[in-house]
Amino acid sequence: MAAEVRMVHERLRSFPDDSWTLDRALADGGYDAARTAVTSMSPDEVVELVKNAGLRGKGGAGFPTGTKWSFVPKDVFPKYVVINHDEGEPGTFKDRELAELDPHQLIEGIIIASWAVGAEKAFIYCRGEFALGSRRMDAAIAEAYANGFLGRGIFGTKFDLDVVLHRGAGAYICGEESALLDSLEGFRGQPRLKPPFPAIKGLYGRPTVINNTETISTLPHIVANGAEWFRGWGTEKSPGTKIFSVSGHVNAPGNYEVPYGITLDELLEIAGGMKDGKRLKAIIPGGASAPLLTHGDYALDFESLKEAGTMLGSGAVVYMDETTCMVRNALVTTEFFAHESCGKCTPCREGTWWAVKVLERVEHGDGRQEDLDLLLDIANGIDGRSFCPLGDAASWALRSNVKLFRDEFERHVGDGRCPYEEEHGAHKELVGARSTGMTATGLGEAGITPQPSEGIDADQRGEW
Amino acid sequence: MTAERETVTLTIDGREVETEKGRLLIDVAEELGIFVPRFCYHPGMKSVAVCRMCLVKVEGMPKLVPSCSTPVSDGMVVETNTEEPAGAQEQMLEFLLINHPLDCPICDRGGECPLQDQTYRHGPGSSRYIEPKRSWEKALDISQLVVLDRERCVLCWRCIRFCDEISGDRFIQLVDRGAGTQILTFADEPFDSYFSGNTIQICPVGALTAATYRFVSRPWDLKNAPGVCSYCAVGCPVTNEERGGKLVRVQALPNENVNDFWICDKGRFAFHYVDSAERLTNPLVRGDDGFATASWTEALAAAAEGLRDKSAGVICGGHLTTEDAYAAARFARKTLGTKNIDSRLQDDGAPYELALEHFSVAGSTATMNDVETARTIVWCGPDPKETLPVLYLRLRKAVVERHAKLIVVGPRRISLDDLATHVVRCRPRGEAGCMEQLLSAGAPGAADIGDPLVVCWGPAHAGRDETAGFAAALNLAHDRGGKILVCPPHAGSQGLIDMGVHPALEPGYNKVVEPGMGTRAMLEAAASGDLDALVLVGADVLSDFPDADLARRAMENVGFSVVIELFPTETARFADVVLPAAAAPEREGTFTNLERRLQKLEPLMPPPGTAREPWRALTSLARALGDDWRWASFDDVWADIKKNVPTHKAVDPAALAQEIPPASLQYESGFEPTQKSAAAPHVAGPGGQYPKGFRQGAPFHTGQSWPLSWELRAFEARQRPGSIPVEGEAVEGAATIRAPDGVRAAPADGFELLSGRLLYDEGAMVSKTRVLRELQKPAYVEMNDEDVKSLGLADGDEVRITGGDVSATCRVTVGDIAPGTVFVPYHQKGLAANTLISAGRVTIEAVR
Repeated sequence: MAAEVRMVHERLRSFPDDSWTLDRALADGGYDAARTAVTSMSPDEVVELVKNAGLRGKGGAGFPTGTKWSFVPKDVFPKYVVINHDEGEPGTFKDRELAELDPHQLIEGIIIASWAVGAEKAFIYCRGEFALGSRRMDAAIAEAYANGFLGRGIFGTKFDLDVVLHRGAGAYICGEESALLDSLEGFRGQPRLKPPFPAIKGLYGRPTVINNTETISTLPHIVANGAEWFRGWGTEKSPGTKIFSVSGHVNAPGNYEVPYGITLDELLEIAGGMKDGKRLKAIIPGGASAPLLTHGDYALDFESLKEAGTMLGSGAVVYMDETTCMVRNALVTTEFFAHESCGKCTPCREGTWWAVKVLERVEHGDGRQEDLDLLLDIANGIDGRSFCPLGDAASWALRSNVKLFRDEFERHVGDGRCPYEEEHGAHKELVGARSTGMTATGLGEAGITPQPSEGIDADQRGEW
Repeated sequence: MTAERETVTLTIDGREVETEKGRLLIDVAEELGIFVPRFCYHPGMKSVAVCRMCLVKVEGMPKLVPSCSTPVSDGMVVETNTEEPAGAQEQMLEFLLINHPLDCPICDRGGECPLQDQTYRHGPGSSRYIEPKRSWEKALDISQLVVLDRERCVLCWRCIRFCDEISGDRFIQLVDRGAGTQILTFADEPFDSYFSGNTIQICPVGALTAATYRFVSRPWDLKNAPGVCSYCAVGCPVTNEERGGKLVRVQALPNENVNDFWICDKGRFAFHYVDSAERLTNPLVRGDDGFATASWTEALAAAAEGLRDKSAGVICGGHLTTEDAYAAARFARKTLGTKNIDSRLQDDGAPYELALEHFSVAGSTATMNDVETARTIVWCGPDPKETLPVLYLRLRKAVVERHAKLIVVGPRRISLDDLATHVVRCRPRGEAGCMEQLLSAGAPGAADIGDPLVVCWGPAHAGRDETAGFAAALNLAHDRGGKILVCPPHAGSQGLIDMGVHPALEPGYNKVVEPGMGTRAMLEAAASGDLDALVLVGADVLSDFPDADLARRAMENVGFSVVIELFPTETARFADVVLPAAAAPEREGTFTNLERRLQKLEPLMPPPGTAREPWRALTSLARALGDDWRWASFDDVWADIKKNVPTHKAVDPAALAQEIPPASLQYESGFEPTQKSAAAPHVAGPGGQYPKGFRQGAPFHTGQSWPLSWELRAFEARQRPGSIPVEGEAVEGAATIRAPDGVRAAPADGFELLSGRLLYDEGAMVSKTRVLRELQKPAYVEMNDEDVKSLGLADGDEVRITGGDVSATCRVTVGDIAPGTVFVPYHQKGLAANTLISAGRVTIEAVR
């Protein structure tokens, strides 16, 4: 029986009352790993260590972190480390918790990563809506400066490091690394043409490493315990642990850190099983972008899910029960992508807008038989042709809904109405049409928010 | 090129092609005759790959790739029109069309619309989209010239990229996101750019249309002919288009040597002078009751009568073609037997012959391509954005894209200052001294001078002797092994010099031993009665000569005058015989641009009435005077030119027949430079002394160069000289321009007056075009902040400017200009500066 493990979650699960404070971090061995890296390891050794550990990016693509670092030219300065804390994938709320509850672990990871690639300036690109997290990170950065963990001559060495926290302005696309860089530079957040890749020409045209919050938060543990220890979890190709944000019709939604390789069924069990004893109908295994699965007998690692035609993504797992209307699911998911499309390329901008129009008709009983093939055509028209993966993601979600649940779509068309309204009452909003709602719902239901989280209304209107 | 370029071999649609490595797939395919459909790609701008229309299949690639951003590589196998790429192209068109209004029947673009054309070729026959289309408010006037229809827009970013990359006038941007994305101007900020018309021409749909051309014609009703823009010395190739005998549109023709793909808005929109009702259509002869319309025979007889056996002078305007210039030179020297001939209306000394000392031509040795590829450019001249707009674009490209070092020398801030590595702010006439200092190793900026070097010089201010500045520019170029780009004021200026319309130079730079009178000397002689007759060919001396009073006295007192003109100008009102001239789109001819490039005009429409080319008028006049040149055609003129002008012996005018892209020809001088050794003595200004700038140490105002190859926009965002980028953060105010010590009160003897032209002025051509007239700035006086304060004034206050007996009121503008100096635009509404310039100094007082 698979169970939760505690690595990245260690401090915040063990000390839920004060895990975010510097005192707690220091008492718990915080910054020891960073000190070890900076004072007793060469940057190359750190890169080697992370390569050996097989750490893979946890933001979605799963690219090997050490390899990514090694693309950065050694002799070009300045270069930058950027933390992608723009957690926007519907269903994902793991990074938010890490920043809110253990910001020092993140800063420690930033020190290690910056040391490894030779950056003297790091930026945290924080999702605009994360009010509490940004305040906790701000406070933690100030504490780190005050204690000599950041600033000039870290740990008595000649290594200088500045960390700048930047809050975004509420665009999903800014989670795409090159759009993030544009936004960070003060421009409209839109993906850049690649190549050049950020490792060569990133922030302000300089070599830049962009890593996810969870990836960076894992670094202290690898430095402290070594590659072999890290490989003790997970699979050969996906070693270590992963935090999954579990939501949907489960009894205990929340963030769970588990080794790679456990199955979706096992994860469901950890999350308390399906709510009200209902039958599982569909699973979104890796955020709204990931194609659906219809049962949970798949291992949660990059390779297995790829083989199953979907992806691990950011680790947002949404379990949906039999009462879920899949047309509705397709509609709200596609609405999300249409809303978040940056408008740069034709297929994503026009395709998602069109698909929403068609899905609205089908859901509300005005669908035509040919609409189902039209939806697939639209999805195929976007897939592989959009400028960045946002369009691809929209098409995958749309296509898997239509393909796997075509009978439901046909019933909507045939009946001229949504059958679920009558059978199950009001719709259950599962995958949020707006990611804000989704994330908040997930955390709220999980009951793990230590303090009420203020939304963008409470916090940012005053500030901006 | 000696360096071997690396080549690759690839296959496109089954056809093998060898080409240079690194080129874009879309270009290579096009050369093979395979047109990959596209909207966002434009060869003049960076690829963005946003429209996704040009997707093609490359063997081994998991996805289709955009051919506009994929460089060719060896062994590549590409399919552009097999099922997969063709399907994608069709799908993109369907996407683009779902929200397109399909209002082609009322769209100016209909018939020449890339979206329409490509829909016919690559698109689906019908749409599956049944929902209501996205709608926007139609036809927004985003400026006086440009109208925006967002419903038609396919968001290709061409206009935005043009403004961002090419012109730097970032007035239009993307607003909102997703399906709500739109092109818009900022609130309350019109699309205020001298280059805005280019966005209309490159728009692949009818989203951006010209206010002057809306609903005017369908493309198939237009007749067009290639031409050369006649408003400045860049000489952009254009196509003139007429409908029903009326010129309705001018568009840029591409020539990578000259204008890339661009023209300025003056070149594009200021054509309404051609069919202005004010045009002269028939000769006029002064009788007892004023002017009377006459036949050419009568007019020529009257003119011949008035000129016969008189001491005469010939003054030519800057818009004459090479043929007109040659005819004028021949007319003066052979028919009238006088050396009194000149074309330099700016009265700046424009000492082109000085260039012969160091270089073999009386003009530029550099081309505009040299400017673009130079490592260092020194600019000392007028504001190119106002006077040579497309050269400004090329200078900007050199700096922004190729990171050339730009050193700007001048007494006031001009547009180039924003791009400069070093700005050397000097006192008026201090340019020469400052450029001298650039030759000494210690001077700031001097260290940045590297090969290849191009020194650009042009007469910046009307009515001032600029000989010393030009001499210094020549010395700098010569001593540093660089080239010189001479920027004369008008489209015809270089051709006029080449053809010997110059008191000291005969055709082909033959030096005259005893030079005749120049423009000023002729006017003075005419005013004092020492000259009997004047022949003015396209020269409106009352408006264009910097001493309006002298010009008026000359015209009043001269015994007899013949004027060949487009319009009944102020000057023509004094003439005895007026002969009507043909405008550029109505005639065959050639212009020689500032890089000595000959380009040909083709006639599109007949001139009004009996108007004809100035060379024909002069030929007839010569015949009436008993000197038959036997010229009947353009070719006859050229046969004569080839025989008599050594520099043009090898020019084959037939080779100039316009094609697209236009053919053009840069001739070589047959001359050996008179001074070849490196130790050539400096050519000194008048009196052999260089005028000095500020005292030592004061004149240089330096900014740091941009040290990194940043993204264009990061560059743009903080490109003011003086800001030093440090790890992506601009440090403001590292060097700001300050007035030197010692300037406290307004100079008792008044201010030194500088005057230069703005792009939209009261000139005969612009003022006939309503939309440009509306954009014309009213006259203003630009002064240094300190000087404004010392007079107790503030920016925008109304002042009276007085020089000699003349005074006028206008607003004061605070500018970055040398202390004790004021700048007045040459000819704007409310003030003709040439009434003031001869006074030299002006007083400024507040109007309470």
